[in-house]
Amino acid sequence: MDNFMELLLHSLRAFGITILQFVPNLLAMLIIFIAGYLFSRLIKLLFLRVFRIINFDSWCDKAGLTAIIRKGDIWSKPSDVFGGLIYWFLIILFLVIGLSALRLQTIDNLISQFFLYIPRAFSALVILIAGYIFAGFISRAVLITAVNSGYHYAKILAEAVRLLLIVLILAMALEQLRIAPGIVIAAFSIVFGGIILALAIAFGVGGIDAAKRIINGGEGRPVSPESKDKKKNNEKERDAEYF
Amino acid sequence: MADFYQNDLIITLHRLGNPGLERIESELREFSRQRPVALVLPALVTEFQNEAIKGIIAELKKVRYINEIILTLGRASDKEFSYVREFLSQLPCEVRIIHNEGKRVKEIYATLERNNVWAGEDGKGRSAWIAYGYILANAQSEVIALHDCDIVTYNREMLARLCYPVANPNIDVVFCKGFYSRITDKMHGRVTRLLIAPLIRAMQKLVGPNPFLMFMDSFRYPLAGEFAMITDMARTNRIPWDWGLEVGVLSEVFRNYSPRRVCQVDIADNYEHKHQLLSADDAKKGLMRMSVDICKSIFRFLAAEGIVLSDSFFKSLQVAYIRLAEDTMVKYEADAAINGLKFDRHAEASAIEAFSNAIKIASEAYSENPMAAPLIPNWNRVTSAIPGILDMLKKAVDEDNR
Repeated sequence: MDNFMELLLHSLRAFGITILQFVPNLLAMLIIFIAGYLFSRLIKLLFLRVFRIINFDSWCDKAGLTAIIRKGDIWSKPSDVFGGLIYWFLIILFLVIGLSALRLQTIDNLISQFFLYIPRAFSALVILIAGYIFAGFISRAVLITAVNSGYHYAKILAEAVRLLLIVLILAMALEQLRIAPGIVIAAFSIVFGGIILALAIAFGVGGIDAAKRIINGGEGRPVSPESKDKKKNNEKERDAEYF
Repeated sequence: MADFYQNDLIITLHRLGNPGLERIESELREFSRQRPVALVLPALVTEFQNEAIKGIIAELKKVRYINEIILTLGRASDKEFSYVREFLSQLPCEVRIIHNEGKRVKEIYATLERNNVWAGEDGKGRSAWIAYGYILANAQSEVIALHDCDIVTYNREMLARLCYPVANPNIDVVFCKGFYSRITDKMHGRVTRLLIAPLIRAMQKLVGPNPFLMFMDSFRYPLAGEFAMITDMARTNRIPWDWGLEVGVLSEVFRNYSPRRVCQVDIADNYEHKHQLLSADDAKKGLMRMSVDICKSIFRFLAAEGIVLSDSFFKSLQVAYIRLAEDTMVKYEADAAINGLKFDRHAEASAIEAFSNAIKIASEAYSENPMAAPLIPNWNRVTSAIPGILDMLKKAVDEDNR
């Protein structure tokens, strides 16, 4: 009987010690959560103020970022959206830090994976934003060049270039995030390669004559009316000299 | 109208013989393949309680050549917007309602404002402007027609005759304005009869022959709210957001296009809509406010044309206006007599006095600040300031109507 009581008390004592060891961790987690929440709100307010000072919303409107946000049916100001993103990022960060204060092995493993993933997510975001601006810039340059060169399908050409670049940027971002990298690379190679092949076939079929002229070094080039007149005038001059 | 007189500057299309609505509509169906027509209807939600809008919708249900209808709705809650959507679902063509008080369209206005594009105050001008923006973003129509939603005597022939000159590729017209008489048992249209016409002619007396004044004088009903135009015009023309809307639109048409490509068309024998009080004692209400805004709009455009508008000019103008307006009143009295219409000479004379006061107020406001033009920038400038704004507007309207 004494042994049984000893066993029971030992178990209760061990449980009590575990609880006593866990409570400070739990308290630390709660304190981190509350401090994190307040800190996140403060940082959000600070960012919103900075955004207002630097006219961030207006910059987003001009750079086309607002248009991207609207495509997702989000109708808040860009500064509110980015402020919100920063706020939620900080909240998640403090949540993770708070959970790590519990000192549980499983959670610790998850947290280390989370922290390792942050740089990748950040670089994917940078690739997406910079890539979108770059694609817009290149597409506009193609549009202006094509319009100035008198192409009828300038807009379609510019949109095609933009689409190609966006496909490339999306593939880069997904590869960075390590989301099914094998499938992404294979899909990208097929899509991109397919587009290039289609363009090559289209040019090959539609531009046989042009290619032939280039290979023949300009022979068989269509003669413009001006050069026809010039040739005729030269012949007339030569005839006049002869007679 | 019984005559077929053509004036010097713009084309006037009369109602001669029996033009036949079926023939016009059938031709319009053909033309609309080449030049699809969008109809813009600026409306306040309160207008949906009136009989006029029901009559208009009943008539529009029979129209088959309209590509899209854009109703730009003002002062409506989300619930009222849903009611209007439901009400308009009976129309056979694609209908889009611009919910000006909705969170998405409000955010569009906020985007414009923070980029220093002032879209003006809430009103018909701004509503029409935002509808033009949506039509440009949608890129599905070549012709825009616009009429109010308070026309009691509406029939679809009005719309057909309004659209015909611009939709017909064989008539080289870029802008078409409607005209009509406004009579019940007496003559209405006091601002047109007793302010605009005498004022324009008084100015012509003072400054001599002036192309803009001659252009304005060519219109039989310059304040008619019904017009049709090519879609490109929506891209290049600015729109006043105040009561000078109709005069401002004509000024922009004069500025950007040759008068030979402008026409006016007889769209109805009679036209009836809600009447406004004169409010002679309060220049911020009713017809007085409208008159002041119209006068300011004309003064500003004349000044922009290089005419010097001094204090002495305004003093002479007021005297010349009163003389001409009184002469005009006598002509209308005779016109009323032969047609058996009532004519309250005292009320007409009082209106002239009030309009004379409006000219004075407008001239003072102009002299104080000649640069204060209530014009909403054209869409070319807006897209230059905010490249993605048309996409945003299309998304906002499409989502609201989803």
